[in-house]
Amino acid sequence: MNTAAVLAEPAASVAAAQPVLAVRNIEVIYDSVILVLRGVSLEVPEGRIVALLGGNGAGKSTTLKSISTLLASERGEVTKGSIEFRGKRTDKLTPGDLVGMGMVQVMEGRHCFGHLTVEENLITGAYARPIKGAQLRAELERIYHYFPRLKVRRESLAGYTSGGEQQMVAIGRAMMAKPNMLLLDEPSMGLAPQIVAEIFEIVRELNQKEGVSILLAEQNTSVALKYADYGYILESGRIMMDGPAKALAENKDVREFYLGMSAEGRKSFRDMKSYRRRKRWL
Amino acid sequence: MEDFRFFIEVLVGGLLSGLMYSLVALGFVLIYKASGVFNFAQGSMVFLAVLSFVGFMELGLPFWAALPVTIGMMVLVGMATERLVLRPLVGQSDTTLLMATIGLAFIIEGVAQIAWGVDVRRLDLGIHDEPIMWLADNFEILISQLDIAAGIVAGLMVVALALLFSRTKVGRGLRAVADDPAAALSIGIPLSHIWMLVWATAGVVALVAGMLWGARSGVQFALVLVALKALPVLIIGGFTSVPGVIVAGLIVGATEKVAEVYIGPYFGGGIEGWAPYMLAVLFLLVRPEGLFGEKIIRRV
Repeated sequence: MNTAAVLAEPAASVAAAQPVLAVRNIEVIYDSVILVLRGVSLEVPEGRIVALLGGNGAGKSTTLKSISTLLASERGEVTKGSIEFRGKRTDKLTPGDLVGMGMVQVMEGRHCFGHLTVEENLITGAYARPIKGAQLRAELERIYHYFPRLKVRRESLAGYTSGGEQQMVAIGRAMMAKPNMLLLDEPSMGLAPQIVAEIFEIVRELNQKEGVSILLAEQNTSVALKYADYGYILESGRIMMDGPAKALAENKDVREFYLGMSAEGRKSFRDMKSYRRRKRWL
Repeated sequence: MEDFRFFIEVLVGGLLSGLMYSLVALGFVLIYKASGVFNFAQGSMVFLAVLSFVGFMELGLPFWAALPVTIGMMVLVGMATERLVLRPLVGQSDTTLLMATIGLAFIIEGVAQIAWGVDVRRLDLGIHDEPIMWLADNFEILISQLDIAAGIVAGLMVVALALLFSRTKVGRGLRAVADDPAAALSIGIPLSHIWMLVWATAGVVALVAGMLWGARSGVQFALVLVALKALPVLIIGGFTSVPGVIVAGLIVGATEKVAEVYIGPYFGGGIEGWAPYMLAVLFLLVRPEGLFGEKIIRRV
């Protein structure tokens, strides 16, 4: 190694703790033509909740899928940049490898196994782990402790449970793999505010009690910033802004564009000029 | 009394031959359950399996050596199908996959005939399509030995597969993959292993079905058409149910034979061929998921 390269390394990064997940300047192209992410970088420190915010089509799901490598089955490809999970590049790994290393994605729209019972859904979550019998039971009880509702409904087919319960099944199923990092894609989707709060409380509990680091993609900015430690705002495939969740929640632009509030409090969009609404930061 | 005995004969003959359809239908169910694909090539796999089995015996292998060799070959064919046909098409629509299996059917049929020739061959399993003498002597009912054997084999396979699906970890994985491949992938279920396993198993099921059909009607290209007979069985029993296949096989077999004998004469005979399809159409109107198929879950 020559001196120039050593000098090029910023001294600060050596001192700071290694992030669990580091995404560096990735570019993603679908079907070899559709450019979706244009240089996204983000970090998730150990044991933290990091929110990835932005509107429809901003690239939140794509970012999560690039990290979990589920992108490949949707004809997407990371063409530039790198993703490192626990210091290891993920581009040659399969989703199964990553689950083995402790990273599980909970996909957008819940994706429960509708024809399996709630309990069977949870059991499949431990597919990659060599556990059975009493050990498996203990793991199930651990999940039921966080989601008491699932215990009540454990014999019903997951397809017949409510949206909130399905979201719980999806998160519980991911937890059965004993992950140290969860990627949650839009857990609030289509759920009543009360259920959203219930689910986020459980997510916070998992983060605090199990020490699971969490990367959370959300459109529901106010809820996400309430529970997250740090936030990134994604727009048209670029990170437009990032900062501690508190600072973001108080930022004037964020309040106006994402929380529907301005200096005068809540604002009606009816009176707003359209260019101001649509232009955002771009 | 004579009439009644004849009716029993027709009915039992029908029920048992229905189980032969069930055996073929089982292969479809396996693949449909695990990958949501209607495998058009199942009939070709039946043909390829039994033709190769007979071919290996002609090359001088004894029965008990040819069997594992053919099983091994079908497992390889199944794995190659997963690798070369299904994996590149992951995430494509069901129609695309169906078309791929139609193409696969032509390839398998072609390769089988290039490799082993097009002659009709005889397969002797030591069980003949002849009445069981004991039943004929004591009850004057004629029931074929081959039919009885097919019934027992079909029953055993169904029990084994039903246990595999409902009790084992792999079975749960299979059902999970069938429900939502993307979600299965996200929690670390190795899709490719599951699919390979399923296609390999379907290959073995095809061999068993092919051996029984080959013993009955000769090992020939027409075996491909046996798959068409499995279609009403699948519609009536449900595409996703292993036990459903057996019940539906019994219903189809009984219907076609009884209809042929008692209703056939009014139409000038020959209704055996289409009676099961009529029944299948009725089922599609009344109960599209079949008798035991998984309910189509639609949340509103």
